Amino acid sequence: MFVGQIISLVKWEVFVFLGGLAAIIAFQLLNGQINTRYLLYGTQKDGTKYFSTERVQLLLFTLGVAVFYLSDVMQKRQSGALPDISTQTLVLLGGSHAVYLGGKAYMMLLKNVRKGEQ
Amino acid sequence: MLLLLLLQATQSAPPPVSSAVINLAAWVALGFLGLMGIAILYYVFTGKIDLGGLISEPSGEASMSRFQLLIFTFVIAASFFLIVVTKSGFPDPIPQGVLVLLGISASSYLVSKGIQASSKQGLGPQDSSVTVKGSQTTTTLGGQTIQFQADVVGLSDETVTWTLDPATGRGTIDQTGLYTPPPATETEAHGKKVVIQAAAREDVSVKDTVTIELL
Repeated sequence: MFVGQIISLVKWEVFVFLGGLAAIIAFQLLNGQINTRYLLYGTQKDGTKYFSTERVQLLLFTLGVAVFYLSDVMQKRQSGALPDISTQTLVLLGGSHAVYLGGKAYMMLLKNVRKGEQ
Repeated sequence: MLLLLLLQATQSAPPPVSSAVINLAAWVALGFLGLMGIAILYYVFTGKIDLGGLISEPSGEASMSRFQLLIFTFVIAASFFLIVVTKSGFPDPIPQGVLVLLGISASSYLVSKGIQASSKQGLGPQDSSVTVKGSQTTTTLGGQTIQFQADVVGLSDETVTWTLDPATGRGTIDQTGLYTPPPATETEAHGKKVVIQAAAREDVSVKDTVTIELL
């Protein structure tokens, strides 16, 4: 009986902590307490800002994969195992990250050098 | 004899722990973790633990690589928790796809930091500045207008707000930076100085001034 109560309480503790933390972070993101300034802007080598499409696509892929995986977990949770992620999805996500990092490296490290050469 | 007793003591199984002690230990651990969780949530909620820079770079700008790492960490943690609650046990094994996903997310964050560390713009607050330029620093009452220009560096919004100090009695300035000295009839301004200030609209703390003497 005691063990059952302890397990039940542990579940509630983790649920309240994770849920509470996620709710607070989401709330603070929405009301601006957590800084989101320039989230979708990149920085060039000379410090100027530009609207970054590579960040937008990474944001979309991140949210897409996150929602897809969570819904997959909700559907398959009775199996008692974490659902796997398909290779195609991982390749897509990896490609998205590569585009983001490639764009960032190009703009921060190379863009102005090439401008100067022209 | 002593050696024999010591040998027996080390080889024998530990005495059985009563279930009451186990339960007590579990409750103490549970209470401690619960209080820790509540304290952390309370401090985060009241701002004593400041999450303002949770996804920010040292330069103060929000970071996409930190944001995606935050999202995936929460998604996998929540999924893990859901499975544990449903199964009442740890999911075993953890699928390779999930590990690869976390690997992509974390290594992307690390590479992003590496790129930033390779560029001076990625380290620390950026040097932003406003520099006011004008053709002259003196004028006469009722004299010619003076066109000032403000060069903004390091900010995305390059517009500025022009103001005078004192605000009245020593001419006017419009929002294109065109300064008009007071008319010749305002003799009390003769020999005085007026400070022209351009402050960046994006960050009003970034500003520059020039002083004009009214002859």
